[in-house]
Amino acid sequence: MLRTRTWIIIIALIFISCGAVCLWQALRPAPGPTAEITVDGETVETIDLSAETATRTFTVETPWGTNTLEVGPNCLRVLDADCPDRVCVDTGWLTAGSPIVCLPHRLVIRLTGPGGGPDASVG
Amino acid sequence: MDIRRIARDGVLSAVALTIFIVELQLPELVPLPGVKLGLANIVTVAAMFMFGPSDAALILTVRIILGSVFGGNMMALIYSAAGGALSFALLLCLKKLLTPRQIWVGSVLTAAAHNLGQLLAAWAVTRTAAVFTYLPVMTVAGMAAGALTGLCAQLVVDRLRKK
Repeated sequence: MLRTRTWIIIIALIFISCGAVCLWQALRPAPGPTAEITVDGETVETIDLSAETATRTFTVETPWGTNTLEVGPNCLRVLDADCPDRVCVDTGWLTAGSPIVCLPHRLVIRLTGPGGGPDASVG
Repeated sequence: MDIRRIARDGVLSAVALTIFIVELQLPELVPLPGVKLGLANIVTVAAMFMFGPSDAALILTVRIILGSVFGGNMMALIYSAAGGALSFALLLCLKKLLTPRQIWVGSVLTAAAHNLGQLLAAWAVTRTAAVFTYLPVMTVAGMAAGALTGLCAQLVVDRLRKK
């Protein structure tokens, strides 16, 4: 038989440690939106879009062709591509709901992190 | 099993089930899945300390199965059963360590075990370890709710013993 005071200390320890972890989880800066670029199913580059300060362009070389991407703060689009249909260019800016796909080049760009990707949920 | 016991456990199961169903109708206090008061556990805890583990296990099992049926969410059965089993095992261990005035302690600790069991089940179902990020907040909420239900159970046991 433990004394009630001992039990209260045990409970308080668990409660406070869990509360501290909660606080840490709440105060930790949330990671910004991240663009994941995959070619033929393999990730070639991930870009933290919230860390971008100025607009810049770069190219993604695939064995099937080249895409020119424009990246800015929290945004990304395909500026130019040497594929025949240019669906990826017409898609416009990357949003959470619709990834940019260039089927001839087997290139997929999708938004991950908060606002993108399937949300984890427990019932 | 004598008739007296069948009748008593049946009535207590009905009470637990009623509390469970009524609680489902209440608006959520915290907008988080899995966070609730768990008032039906008052019956389980009280039965454990008044009549012993086998009666408490019977009442808990009946309440979990029928609660999922009437609640209309059979997926909840997996989580309830996992949480119920783990918390029941812990309460069984704690029973010998607690005096009648410390029943609420058992409820607080088993509430934490209940949440752990639920998340273990969620981990097994979804196969994502990310569910454990819910563990701290669920433990804090669960222990607070457990203190409330435990105090209720202690009052119930106290009053029924006097009669």
